[in-house]
Amino acid sequence: MAEAATGAVRVEKVRGRSALTRCFARYPLKLIAPSKVGPYSCDAVWLYALTYGGGIVSGDTISCTVSVGDGCTAAFTTQASTKVYKAVGSKCSEQLLEARVGEDALLAVIPDPVTCFSTARYHQKQVFQVSANSNLVVVDWFTSGRYESGEKWDFSFYKSVNHIFLGDQPLFIDSTLLEQGSNYSIAERMQEYNVIVMVVLLGPKLRHIQDKMQDEMKKLMSGQLRPPTSGGSLYTMRSKPPQRPQRPPLIASCSPFGRTGTGMVARVAAVSMELAYSFLRHHLAALEPFLGASPYAAS
Amino acid sequence: MESGSPVSKKSRLFRSVDCEMEEVPSNAVDMNLSLHWTQWQILDSILPTGGFAHSYGLEAAMQSRMVNNQEDLKSFVIQVLDNTGSLLLPFVYCASKSPDAAAWVRLDQLLEATLTNEVARKASTSQGSALLRVAASVFTEVQALQDLRRTFLGSKSVSFHHAPIFGLICGLIDSETAQRAYMFVTMRDVFSVATRLNLIGPLAASVLQHQVAPDAERMMQKWRDRDISAASQTAPLLDALQGCHAYSRLFCS
Repeated sequence: MAEAATGAVRVEKVRGRSALTRCFARYPLKLIAPSKVGPYSCDAVWLYALTYGGGIVSGDTISCTVSVGDGCTAAFTTQASTKVYKAVGSKCSEQLLEARVGEDALLAVIPDPVTCFSTARYHQKQVFQVSANSNLVVVDWFTSGRYESGEKWDFSFYKSVNHIFLGDQPLFIDSTLLEQGSNYSIAERMQEYNVIVMVVLLGPKLRHIQDKMQDEMKKLMSGQLRPPTSGGSLYTMRSKPPQRPQRPPLIASCSPFGRTGTGMVARVAAVSMELAYSFLRHHLAALEPFLGASPYAAS
Repeated sequence: MESGSPVSKKSRLFRSVDCEMEEVPSNAVDMNLSLHWTQWQILDSILPTGGFAHSYGLEAAMQSRMVNNQEDLKSFVIQVLDNTGSLLLPFVYCASKSPDAAAWVRLDQLLEATLTNEVARKASTSQGSALLRVAASVFTEVQALQDLRRTFLGSKSVSFHHAPIFGLICGLIDSETAQRAYMFVTMRDVFSVATRLNLIGPLAASVLQHQVAPDAERMMQKWRDRDISAASQTAPLLDALQGCHAYSRLFCS
């Protein structure tokens, strides 16, 4: 992929500190590496990926390779939500990422969400090659569209693939596909929820963050889930006046993965971006010592 | 026994090329008819495979008020079937096409990495182990099943996931109906859960099951015969909900 890549990034140790030794990008991708994101004491390289026009046009492919050397720390993010414009014919907008994370290194992929406009077609694939004690944070999320303007789950096709490999061994293989269907539209399936979030945490440095997240989500959801009234019997419910049952504005759960449980994936559905940002800000705040800044900090 | 019967298929596990398939029409018809009995036994809920310990996320969906009535249940079942088709049918299909140990191990390991939802992952291994144990005991003419079980029981490299085992067993018996059968047992189990959770009565569940059958067939046709690289999940909301299952009272998962 290197030759045809739209962008290529390499972070290596230079004089004992994480440094950007390669940063290439061509149209429509632009990479910005601000030199002072966190305090000097923090050893982390930050990269912002931008697209000319603020989004991805139908038929465009943006591909990027990222290499984080042993012991290095890098954060890969965006300046704003990635917009995916309406599809031209059956053409897709595409984003591809291939990342290699070295021993004892940390890569945090913490973008803003993807927002697909009406009729848009979007495909995303991220492949992470990790070593035994690599650390990885991946936030992959998307919204229902410009929902505040009424454009809700109106895109045609969304597919996001995330693969994590340890050598040849697949650790985490996920593919989420949403396509307008004949039975139920995407909107009918998603109900009042407007944001879907996936957070992957992997590696020894993130153990305590995983544990804390797990505990807090358990507490949050056990307060929200209640056994159905009267044993959920259909027979008694018919006589009650029809009313909309109270549903949690944010649903979150998590699962460990990997033979030795070194990884954790959290899945969230929220009714608004504000709630989702707040969730991410809260749970990923513990990354600040590693990255020098807290992801998704309120501006 | 005549060639073409399930006994000759046992050697497929170890890729023996010794057996010859003789084309004897009347024997083929007999074999075809006797297959029905085996297939029906696999689909019958009375086969003790422990399918009823798994709620497919329905319990959590009810507790979060996502499913409150029959209409919601219909939508839920169809979404579960759509997700089953897109995520799991490739594993059933590939296992049924190559019902041998090496292919099965690869599929099982890949599904272990693909079922990222712990609740679904545990349910899958529990159902898969039970199914293999039962099938090895019941379909004794298919030696391959006992061999497989004996070789891998206790091994850390496999998890005995449901979809590949289901495909493997069908592949050794009759691969043609494997994918439809898998969709059927999933649908059967979700309706069973719904009645046990008192969401719907058994007769109404049967009525709804029959109504949903054409949708199930359509989804089977849509998602059939695909490679594992195409496996995707299509219900992220239900996935998030299913992960909340830790607080259940009735079902294990």
